[in-house]
Amino acid sequence: MEEVQIIAGLRAKDRKTTEYLYDKYSRALYAVISRIVFDKDIAEEVFHDAFVKITKKIDRYEESKGRLYTWMANICRNSAIDKLRSKEISQSGKTNTIDDFVYGMESQSGTQEHIDGIGVKELMIALNEDQKFIVEYIYFKGYTHSEVSEEFDIPLGTVKSRVRAAIQVLKKNVARI
Amino acid sequence: MDIQSYISSGKLELFLLGELTEREREEVLDFAKRYPEIQQELDDLQETMFAFDNLTGLAPSQEVKKRIFSTLESSFILKEVPKPTADRADAKVISMSNPWKPFAIAASIAAIVASGAALYYAGKFQEKDQQFTALLQDQTVMAGNLNQVNQELKKVDGQFDKFVAGIYKRVEMKGEGFEMQKDARVDLIWDQKAQEVFIAVNNLNDLSDDLDYQLWAIGDDGPVGIGLVNEGIKMTRQQMEAVAQAGAFAITIEPKGGSKAPTLEKLVVLGEVA
Repeated sequence: MEEVQIIAGLRAKDRKTTEYLYDKYSRALYAVISRIVFDKDIAEEVFHDAFVKITKKIDRYEESKGRLYTWMANICRNSAIDKLRSKEISQSGKTNTIDDFVYGMESQSGTQEHIDGIGVKELMIALNEDQKFIVEYIYFKGYTHSEVSEEFDIPLGTVKSRVRAAIQVLKKNVARI
Repeated sequence: MDIQSYISSGKLELFLLGELTEREREEVLDFAKRYPEIQQELDDLQETMFAFDNLTGLAPSQEVKKRIFSTLESSFILKEVPKPTADRADAKVISMSNPWKPFAIAASIAAIVASGAALYYAGKFQEKDQQFTALLQDQTVMAGNLNQVNQELKKVDGQFDKFVAGIYKRVEMKGEGFEMQKDARVDLIWDQKAQEVFIAVNNLNDLSDDLDYQLWAIGDDGPVGIGLVNEGIKMTRQQMEAVAQAGAFAITIEPKGGSKAPTLEKLVVLGEVA
């Protein structure tokens, strides 16, 4: 299904299109949330709310302002960050390292889902320390680039270029996997 | 403007991560509209992010999907999806229709085929069922026949055993010495103990329809009629009525159905018991 068709279907409140959207994007969108919110139950709650929000707010989505996935991923990401910063969750999540995250995934009982998750480790290996650091904080912990800049005393421009470099590496490796 | 340095500034990534201010966002969008390379880079980056998210993530549980769709259930409107309006010139608009249409068509065809097959096989089944019932009936008849044949065989086997054991007394009845049929000959077999009498016609002339050959057992009490002889059946046993005691057997020609007493003038064959 083309993106325009999905958008039109969602605006028409079409159930089939919503199911298609779910089947195609639920894993990626849930990943955006679960790398910020580690608790599975809370992550699923956030995902539930975010997905419902996506279908409700689809009328406000403007195609001219970016692709559908980017828009949806940002809703999920913001929902996760909001949750993380609410009183419900302590900041302890932010002390986790990327290794904890990767290890945490691998230590879960082996199901088909987790086999795919192993890809994250492979992808990370390709990053240098600086890039890994950036990805960890921005991608996995929901820090904004200015927060990273302030908290770790890294110039904003450097954060930006490292984000860029890291995603370029990921881009190459995602294509390879 | 240096497009490449703009691309490598990292701004596009932050745009995708939703981290730019409104003013910066407008700028990125404006540049993307003006410079295809920037739009291309944005698209590529989005693809990368989606692929990355998709690769690294775990699928949410089925439970969540159920909850989401039960939350959304009331908001779904059962109506046709309207034709999308393409905002992006490069967006390919292929005729939308219902994406499930091909499946619906396939399912309908499958259903029709299945129904047809069901009817066809139902017909076949009925046909076979009838054939089967007919076969069962045939089989029952055959079993009955076989049973009858078995009993016959048992009887014959018993008779053969008696014959082998020498229980039967054989009496040859001949026409020699009588006027009627000089060459007439009928053999008689008698089991005195079981009182069974059989005859086998060797040679007897055919009679007109109003006459019958009648067999007589001649004992101490005189001749006793013990049945009519079918002259047409030759060289095969014909069982006659039981006889306990007799010194001789004879056949006479009598009116149709036989007589109480033999017509001695029409005596055809006679044989004495040895």
